[in-house]
Amino acid sequence: MGLLSIIRKIKRKEKEMRILMVGLDNSGKTTIVLKINGEDTSVISPTLGFNIKTIKYQKYSLNIWDVGGQKTIRSYWRNYFEQTDGLVWVVDSSDVRRLEDCRMELANLLKEERLSGASLLIFANKQDIQGVLKPAEIAKALNLDAMDKTRHWKIFGCSAYNGEGLLEGFDWLIQDIASRIYVID
Amino acid sequence: MEDEEVEKTRASSMEVQDPIAQKKHAAMLERLSNLHQSRLQQSTSRRSATDSSSPAFESVHSFLARFSDAKRSLEAELRRFHALAASSGDAKSQIRPDLEKASAAISDLERQVAENSYFLPPYEVRSSLKTIAELKESVESAYADILPRKKFSFRSKASSNKVPTVVVQGAEEIIVSDDANSKLIARGSPGLRDLQNAVLVKHFSGEVEGDFTLADLHSCEVYLKGRFGALFIHRLRNCRIFAGPVIGSVLIEEVNDCLFMLASHQIRIHQAKDSDFYLRVRTRPIIEDCSRVRFGPYRLCYDGIDEQLKECGLHEETGNWASVDDFRWLRAVQSPNWCVISEHEFVGVTDISGLEEKNEIHGLST
Repeated sequence: MGLLSIIRKIKRKEKEMRILMVGLDNSGKTTIVLKINGEDTSVISPTLGFNIKTIKYQKYSLNIWDVGGQKTIRSYWRNYFEQTDGLVWVVDSSDVRRLEDCRMELANLLKEERLSGASLLIFANKQDIQGVLKPAEIAKALNLDAMDKTRHWKIFGCSAYNGEGLLEGFDWLIQDIASRIYVID
Repeated sequence: MEDEEVEKTRASSMEVQDPIAQKKHAAMLERLSNLHQSRLQQSTSRRSATDSSSPAFESVHSFLARFSDAKRSLEAELRRFHALAASSGDAKSQIRPDLEKASAAISDLERQVAENSYFLPPYEVRSSLKTIAELKESVESAYADILPRKKFSFRSKASSNKVPTVVVQGAEEIIVSDDANSKLIARGSPGLRDLQNAVLVKHFSGEVEGDFTLADLHSCEVYLKGRFGALFIHRLRNCRIFAGPVIGSVLIEEVNDCLFMLASHQIRIHQAKDSDFYLRVRTRPIIEDCSRVRFGPYRLCYDGIDEQLKECGLHEETGNWASVDDFRWLRAVQSPNWCVISEHEFVGVTDISGLEEKNEIHGLST
């Protein structure tokens, strides 16, 4: 309890949150981060490694760790788990074929003890493309209802291409983390 | 001169001014000397004790002899316990104090090794520690055999309770997801699937198409005129694919002996072999688990393609087709998995303006 309260105090002073962006390759993680930061999203290479962005969001400062999703580098995700307050799992709603891969990777991730306290935001991305799966369908395919009941999670449809749904998702995530970590003032 | 005087006065003032500090100092010295005395006493008493128990002090040979004696007697004891336990149930309760004695003897042995370790050769220390560990283990197993006791443990409870539910959960999970996925796939995204020996021409003139899939094609030629939100390509063999611009990304997996002509924002290529890619990409294409793949520039031509490329931000040649990132080759030197197609080998500009839409399958005369 002592250590926890110290960490809480430090965090309260800085109002910092650590957010980890993960998901399969081609899901749009980097595009989401750049879009909410108001940067150009037209030239984004597949992430070889990771990007870190510090973004002021409301009164908080978000440290966003955007980690590459290619199969080869998924095993390195675990290096970023420590002290994660919020987890953002990004799904390519148009990629029906790899939904099973997506479900398995997410299930593996949620087994991780170091992430057990993190709030989970799921983005059903690419809703701008016509005919893609709706968030409810993604939730069903990923079997989200079977998740551990103690986990705070929510799924949002979004489009990193035109920005729709991104702020709603992040608003929920930040509120959820804040109500856990900081005494609501 | 002045300095000396200052020194003197300071020293004297220290002495005079601080009787309390002095007292403290004296007390501390006394404490320290007491500590030292007691330490000395302890060490001598310990030494005499070890001396009495080990007449040839600091002799490796005698230590080892004593150690192996102790080891033998302990082993004999343990064997006796096991025999007793096997013979009668009543004896079990009597064994208990004996077992405790044995484990006390083992820890005594361990202490002796620790005390004598400073003169023992490292090998002897290691081997005697190993012996002790083995003895401890066999005492533990004797405890378990002779006096089985319900141990409190989280594991046993969890396993007795949860195993069946976990199995059920797992089964349910699979069923649920299979169900969901099959439904989703049945609903399907637009695309061309499961075809052989066909020439397929699709003409999308109006709005930007959504995602489009090419999957499980064998020896096909595919011409897609139009713009796409995303393109998925999966399991192709011996195919030639020509497509208009893709606004989002292209994902290619498991293709062999194919030729692709694609323009897109991002292109990811996984598990491709012996294939050529003629690309225009706004970003660096990536390959993963590929071998013998080659790259060249996009050269497709049909009515209206220039406007379409422009709308998708792909009208400019970026040259990115020649700077491929290989996720399986994260080094500065060129990856052995891909190369640039030499210019004289480039396919010519492919003009598909004249091609009419057709979807029927007919044998290719190759």
